[in-house]
Amino acid sequence: MGRRPIFSSQTDRLLAVLIKEPQVWQHGYALMKQTGLQSGTLYPVLVRLSDQGLLEAEWRDADKPGRPRRHVYRLTPAGLAFAREKIAPARKKIGAMLGAKA
Amino acid sequence: MTQTLCRRMAKALMRHAARVMPAREKNWGEAMQNELQVIEDDQVALNWAVGCVIAGYGERMNTLLQTWYARAALALLIGMLALREFFAPLLIFAYRTQELGLAHFLGLRTAGDDYRRLIPLMDATPAWLPLLWVAAGLLFLVALWRMLRRMDGSVVLFFLAFALDLAGAVAAKSIEASTSVIATPNLMVRAAGEVLMLSTGFVLWRMTRKSGLS
Repeated sequence: MGRRPIFSSQTDRLLAVLIKEPQVWQHGYALMKQTGLQSGTLYPVLVRLSDQGLLEAEWRDADKPGRPRRHVYRLTPAGLAFAREKIAPARKKIGAMLGAKA
Repeated sequence: MTQTLCRRMAKALMRHAARVMPAREKNWGEAMQNELQVIEDDQVALNWAVGCVIAGYGERMNTLLQTWYARAALALLIGMLALREFFAPLLIFAYRTQELGLAHFLGLRTAGDDYRRLIPLMDATPAWLPLLWVAAGLLFLVALWRMLRRMDGSVVLFFLAFALDLAGAVAAKSIEASTSVIATPNLMVRAAGEVLMLSTGFVLWRMTRKSGLS
């Protein structure tokens, strides 16, 4: 049996942020701020989405010299389709929730 | 706590988090660690690092749970829980059908080492109660089989069996009260059984959650 994506409210929140600007590469810390998820929750979800081929990750050199390279993330085409199909109906609700929190 | 100490603790925790990440996810450990450099606020950095340590151990545990020996150990535990459910029905059956050799053999494995101590309890046990335990045992076995075959539903079946076991324990307690015979007088042994069951269910849930099953 193949792996299926794991649905959780945390995954929904992350997908809701990632499909706002699907072409933009996002850093982990920025995703944490936008989703309101703690790093201990965020990274396992990122790992899972990446394992399932829904998220692509790559290394980028730091903006400032002397700083280490950073991992950036965005949805793959499959991830984008998945997010649109599965998450879009809930997106408005989650967006409102995040807006209310901010 | 000074900010410097906060930052130093965050860095130490991050190094630890990166170390505990499983080998195949080392780049994720590095990714988490490198983000720390852009977090200006020391308290936020410390919170970030604590979260990363939790994530690191979570990933480590998930990886461990996917190994064959973890699955074998869990299978053994679930099998033992199933056998435990069949014990009392088998003893009652042996006693009621006058298979006293078997009843004696099983009685040696009870508190007091003698089935005859339990005769008032077995006489007072309604027929549906052993059936409830057998159903719980069968559900454990089906959960075990589905887990080994990596099929859906093992966790639900496991906790359904656990619920039946609990219901049986509540019913048995009232029978014990009415007959003044306690099957397992040691409360610690009773509690250990339930804790073992819950812990096994939790590990099963973690194991199947990792692979996307439920």
